Amino acid sequence: MKISVNTEIALTYLSARKKQTAIAAMGVMFGISMFIFMQSLMKGTNDYFEKMSFNSTPHIRLYSENKVADNHMLKSYLKDPSVKILTNPKQLIQTQGLNNPYGLIREIQHNPQVANVTPQVTADVIYTSGSVQINGNVAGVNIDAEDKMFDVQSNMVTGDLHDLNRVNNGLLIGKGIADKLSLHVGDNITVTAGTGSPTIMRVVGIFATTVKQVDETKSYANIVQAQNLLGKDRSYVTDIKINIKDYNNAPQVAKELETITGYKAEDWVQANEQLKAAFKIRAVILNSVIGVILLVAGFGIYNILNMTIYEKIKEIAILKAQGFSGPAVTSIFLQQAIYIGIMGGLVGITCGFGITYMVSRIYIGAGTLKYLPMSFYIPHYIEAVCFGILTTVAAGFFPARKASKVDPVTIIRG
Amino acid sequence: MADIALKSTGINKVFHDAVNLQVLKNISIEVKKGEFVSIVGKSGCGKSTLLYVLSTMDTDYEGSLEIAGTTVTGKTLNELARIRNESIGFVFQFHYLLPDFTCLKNVMIPALRLGKLSTKEVEARAYEKLKMFGVEDQALKKANKLSGGQQQRVAIARALINDPTIIMGDEPTGNLDSKNTGIVFDLFQKLTKEFGQTIITVTHDEDFAKKSDRIIEMADGEIKSHG
Repeated sequence: MKISVNTEIALTYLSARKKQTAIAAMGVMFGISMFIFMQSLMKGTNDYFEKMSFNSTPHIRLYSENKVADNHMLKSYLKDPSVKILTNPKQLIQTQGLNNPYGLIREIQHNPQVANVTPQVTADVIYTSGSVQINGNVAGVNIDAEDKMFDVQSNMVTGDLHDLNRVNNGLLIGKGIADKLSLHVGDNITVTAGTGSPTIMRVVGIFATTVKQVDETKSYANIVQAQNLLGKDRSYVTDIKINIKDYNNAPQVAKELETITGYKAEDWVQANEQLKAAFKIRAVILNSVIGVILLVAGFGIYNILNMTIYEKIKEIAILKAQGFSGPAVTSIFLQQAIYIGIMGGLVGITCGFGITYMVSRIYIGAGTLKYLPMSFYIPHYIEAVCFGILTTVAAGFFPARKASKVDPVTIIRG
Repeated sequence: MADIALKSTGINKVFHDAVNLQVLKNISIEVKKGEFVSIVGKSGCGKSTLLYVLSTMDTDYEGSLEIAGTTVTGKTLNELARIRNESIGFVFQFHYLLPDFTCLKNVMIPALRLGKLSTKEVEARAYEKLKMFGVEDQALKKANKLSGGQQQRVAIARALINDPTIIMGDEPTGNLDSKNTGIVFDLFQKLTKEFGQTIITVTHDEDFAKKSDRIIEMADGEIKSHG
């Protein structure tokens, strides 16, 4: 390809002042590598917290919720077309638990978006050991399905979670409960549900999540044990937990399930509003930091090009005298900015990747978090380069336009 | 008339500084093709101002200007740039070579801008021009490594690269010693005699002016004699 004379001049100017070119490119490089690093950290952290929230929350939870009284009973009783108005309507007690839960599960499994479905019996209980009592709740689950959905295994401190299937009256307790009641694997604990009689159960394992409140209240039991605790029959299920293939579709799938089943389907977005708010706040903070860095890099380029133009003003005048038009001069200086941007961008990508990789090897060791969560996400790199080049073009545009407006007569005549 | 290279009709120019100062008063001149014209006059008489108006770089004037039969008054800046590129060559008192480029590149740039020839052809032409001025052995040196006389010869070679109809000089020998002045003069004469190119120079050098074909004398913004 034939290099145009504008390009040739732009490249010669850049290479004649290597130091300044390098400094300008370094500005862009810092901007871009910080952009990549920050984006990777942010996405990594967000992904981590999302994953964490899925360790305790399913994508969708289906449960029975009390409803406010409406006038449909009245309508079917009176059978007339008059308008009925209920003043001061009250909550109606629904039967605890879901009707025909296994039928519902089969129905839900037919939905092509659904990946995993598991029933749960939740019971509010009092744990007693010696003379100490604490409040909490037991989740009666099928532990294999639970482990598949929420990776319970990764939270285990001692004991074997599969013992829930083998040991009669087995119980997995949170670390907080174990500490407060001074319990170890193999110890007995008395569990009392509100409506049932006290039951002695055996601790088969201890788990620790990163959430203290969960560790101090929650325990897992076999679903049948939980039903026994409550004095309910085998068809008693309080929640159906559903994981779907793409959790971003959860709100929409939840709505569908609500329509089909008539029960409340709560998606993870509703259940974790504070998490979403935190994502948004982090995004604002990081984007402003990145914006400032790129702005500073942009000013660097602006400065250097402005200096070049002051220095080369006679040369610009002479180029114009020789027949270089305004647009040709603009192109010479804008190209310089673009090449600085491309150079800084390419080095910046490499540096950004390097920094991200190094930081991802830093040991943190807080809770279950061992290393800083970093994501390596290609679109970040593409975005970074686009932003970098955009910044350099914007920064180069004004000096370039100034150069194009140089009046050769005033400069040459002095 | 086909053999008129440049024609100005009633050119007036006013500097709008603190007071309005009319620097050019009703200037009408004609320069034939192949003519070697010197414009002389005292400092401040407006001769350089006139040259920059004739060169199309200064567009702030009244009157009209024709170059090679085409009226250039009123054309856009970009069109004028194209006209300068193609049909006008400049030699200034200072060489104004681009110091970051080799002499060869300096000479090539206007032709590359014009874009009529391939890079190879332009390079061959540039060598040819440098040879004419006896500086072809300096071709690959950076422009700022040459002596003053050599630089001025390279600058003239650059002015000639596109075979312009008109070559304009603003005191082209102002910074040269008598020997180099002689060389430049002989070359200018050769250009007009052998290649039919038109030369218009502003000069203080009386000997230089006397040897040219015609002297236009200026005083106080007016033309005293057309020579």
